[in-house]
Amino acid sequence: MADAPALELRGITKRFGTLVANNAVDFELRRGEIHALLGENGAGKSTLMNVLYGLHQPDEGQILLDGQPVTIDSPRRAIGLGIGMVHQHFMLVPVMTVAENLVLGAEPRSGPLLDYKTATRRVRELSSEYGLAVDPDAKVEDIGVGTQQRVEILRALFRGAKVLVLDEPTAVLTAQEAQDLFKVLRTLTAAGTSVVFISHKLNEVLDIADRVTVLRRGEKVDTVSTEGATERSLAGLMVGRDVLLRVEKTEQKLGEPLLELEGVSAVDDRGLPAVNDVTLRVRAGEIVGLAGVDANGQSELIETIMGLRAPTAGTITAAGVDVTHAGPRETLNAGVSHIAEDRHRRGLVLEFDLAENLCLREYKTPAFSSRGFLSPSKMVARARTLLKEFDVRGGDPETRAGSLSGGNQQKVVIARELTADPKVIIAAQPTRGLDVGAIEFVHRRLVEERDAGKGVLLVSLELEEIRSLSDRVLVIYEGRIVAELPPESSEEDFGVYMTGGGRDERAA
Amino acid sequence: MTAKRIGWGAVVLGFLAFFVAVPPLTVRSPIVVIVIAVAAMAAGSYAITAGEKRLGWGGIIAGMIGLVGGYAATQSGVANLERVVVWGALGAATLRYATPLIFGAVGGLFSERAGVINIGLEGMMLMGAFFGAWGADVTSSWLLGIVIAIAAGAVFGAIHALFAVSFRADQIVSGTALNLLAVGVTGYLFVEVYGDLGTPDDLPSVPNVSLPIDWLPLLGDIFGDLNLLVWLALAAVLMTWVFMFRTSWGLRLRSAGENPLAAETAGLNVVRTRYLAVMASGGLAAMGGAFLSIGFLHTFTQNMTAGRGFIALAALIFGRWRPGLALAATLLFGFGSALAQRLPVFSPSGAVLFQALPYVLTLIAVTGLIGRSIPPLALGRPLPRN
Repeated sequence: MADAPALELRGITKRFGTLVANNAVDFELRRGEIHALLGENGAGKSTLMNVLYGLHQPDEGQILLDGQPVTIDSPRRAIGLGIGMVHQHFMLVPVMTVAENLVLGAEPRSGPLLDYKTATRRVRELSSEYGLAVDPDAKVEDIGVGTQQRVEILRALFRGAKVLVLDEPTAVLTAQEAQDLFKVLRTLTAAGTSVVFISHKLNEVLDIADRVTVLRRGEKVDTVSTEGATERSLAGLMVGRDVLLRVEKTEQKLGEPLLELEGVSAVDDRGLPAVNDVTLRVRAGEIVGLAGVDANGQSELIETIMGLRAPTAGTITAAGVDVTHAGPRETLNAGVSHIAEDRHRRGLVLEFDLAENLCLREYKTPAFSSRGFLSPSKMVARARTLLKEFDVRGGDPETRAGSLSGGNQQKVVIARELTADPKVIIAAQPTRGLDVGAIEFVHRRLVEERDAGKGVLLVSLELEEIRSLSDRVLVIYEGRIVAELPPESSEEDFGVYMTGGGRDERAA
Repeated sequence: MTAKRIGWGAVVLGFLAFFVAVPPLTVRSPIVVIVIAVAAMAAGSYAITAGEKRLGWGGIIAGMIGLVGGYAATQSGVANLERVVVWGALGAATLRYATPLIFGAVGGLFSERAGVINIGLEGMMLMGAFFGAWGADVTSSWLLGIVIAIAAGAVFGAIHALFAVSFRADQIVSGTALNLLAVGVTGYLFVEVYGDLGTPDDLPSVPNVSLPIDWLPLLGDIFGDLNLLVWLALAAVLMTWVFMFRTSWGLRLRSAGENPLAAETAGLNVVRTRYLAVMASGGLAAMGGAFLSIGFLHTFTQNMTAGRGFIALAALIFGRWRPGLALAATLLFGFGSALAQRLPVFSPSGAVLFQALPYVLTLIAVTGLIGRSIPPLALGRPLPRN
């Protein structure tokens, strides 16, 4: 059957308890094609691929490889059938070398001993054959994520993969690394490998894939060719309605200053200056964007405002209260809300359930407790209301926060922070890792808060997000505010200041 | 001279301060000891200021130990000193005391490198001690006794794996339960089988290996007449190193302990790997127990391991989960025990204090004072459920 597709999934259904993760999903992968699997967080993309890789058993449905029905009951079996998978979180052993990781599970031997020389030679051969540069003797913990991903791809090829599945491969890569990856994928498909590319980024799907299959809530919506498709049409398929890729804002009604920083400086964890003499003001009814390249003092600035880091100079006033030397609790009580940059580390307690997470801020108030004792029934009732209001899917009040998808976790954080009725909202990378539907939701809520007369400080690495949401934009470089620009300014203008240029003109 | 060299110099000087005061040098003047020890501490301080913190602290500690030990030696009678410090006998005793610890530590290494905490080493060792004695008794063969001991340890290991791997129970709780179970099982069987009489006097015992090296000055005394199991313990260290770091099975075992999901993704069976590793762990620890009952003391008494399983685990941690370093740790602990056995000449209470040495050193090791002890990444974590 020469014309049979390399891989075909027919009517795959997978249930976890009452949750239907995949409902009768069909999927077809032609030989040598790059086929994107597109869907929001929690749409069932990863589940489908885990079924293919033998990590989950389907409840119904059939898998065909080259037209032959197969049963895949373990990763070992999948590998044997020529299916390779590059997981979103790399499956490598950090303390071992690249070569050791690559051959793990199919080691070359000489007698009873591991033939390490042959292993490194095979790595070099594969590496030059596919143009994936790696050092076989480097330890995985010492190499960057881009290189780690190359190791994962090489490992799949080493095990003879004909079908390569990449689960959100660009999530951890820089733009340049992503382009390099795309080049590699094109080389691979030219050599006859077929690629499944899981993603929720529309632009890169259009860029790299030949066809796209869109999943929504566990069901296949459609398979379309990327030729003629647009970001808008794909977004519509993904979310099931028209998506506003641009944010609608009403006219601004400015009020009194709510957050004021005067000459604030702070040092980072190593004691080096991170925030230098920052003066900024956020007034009621405006969104102030803070644009900048990663690691230019944004995190330290937010921590300083929130009382998580002590300033070395300057004053901070929130809603008229001096919070320069306040701790986090006092800052929160002054009316500041914090949508944390890292929701796993700062935003949520992953081991707690949603009801507990939702009351972390106000657990002391009568809404959740009386006479020093928590009231579980009140917590659950309140959580139920909030989960509905903020459209958190895939969880009820008793669900562990860690088991939600990223977008829904972020909605939980936002629900908690916004219902506290703050005056000032510090939103740090509020849409990092979210899909279009969730991004739209977060943006709409932030604009609503602005319209309701709150002050919003938006810190983001996505310039597009800053430009579409903000009323004014400050650019931070090496811990200093180096420019204030209107959001309509061109990307080039921003780029100059964000990379440290234009400072001489300013000084002049 | 680099700070690192000075740091090592400090450590060496510290031990030298003690060494000069005991036979064969037996320097009687406390001044010499004090000068050397102070030099060690000074070099240690210098190393700290030059950036070699851990090594520097090691030097200062060695200097203090040398000062106390050396000074105490100069204040005791020469006759007493010569009774305690007989290097040949001390060396042989060190190996004897270290042997159960070596088996335990190497056994623990299998389990923990595969990601399963094995605090049940003590129980596995105790099982080996009883079943080694019982097996040797009923089969009249020390060899079959060892085989039966290994089997008993492996069964105990399988129980630990059942709880820790299959049922995903807390591994410390599971191991502790096994320790208590072992005391109960061996105690019950001992009373049931041997009653008040204890194990028979003609219990077959593991023979010593006599080497024709009597004429060698120090080595002859140490290595000339050691029990077969002592040699097997040393061989086990070497074989474990080869297995763990030079074979593909070792690579697979370690991957299960570092990142079980990665191992699973590479097509390995982590559950089976961990079962086998914990069972091997039990078998090896049991050999340590068998050495106690049919290699060393030629009898079984209730709870005769007396915490040696825990000390073996301490040696494993002190040795940073590496066979060679773990061996060095067991020898250090063994030396402590050998010295403690001879010390009552001076002070019975001081001898008891010496028994705490392993735990003190382990605390120092885990607090990272002398090099950081980094466990396998997935140690104690069951395989995530899909």
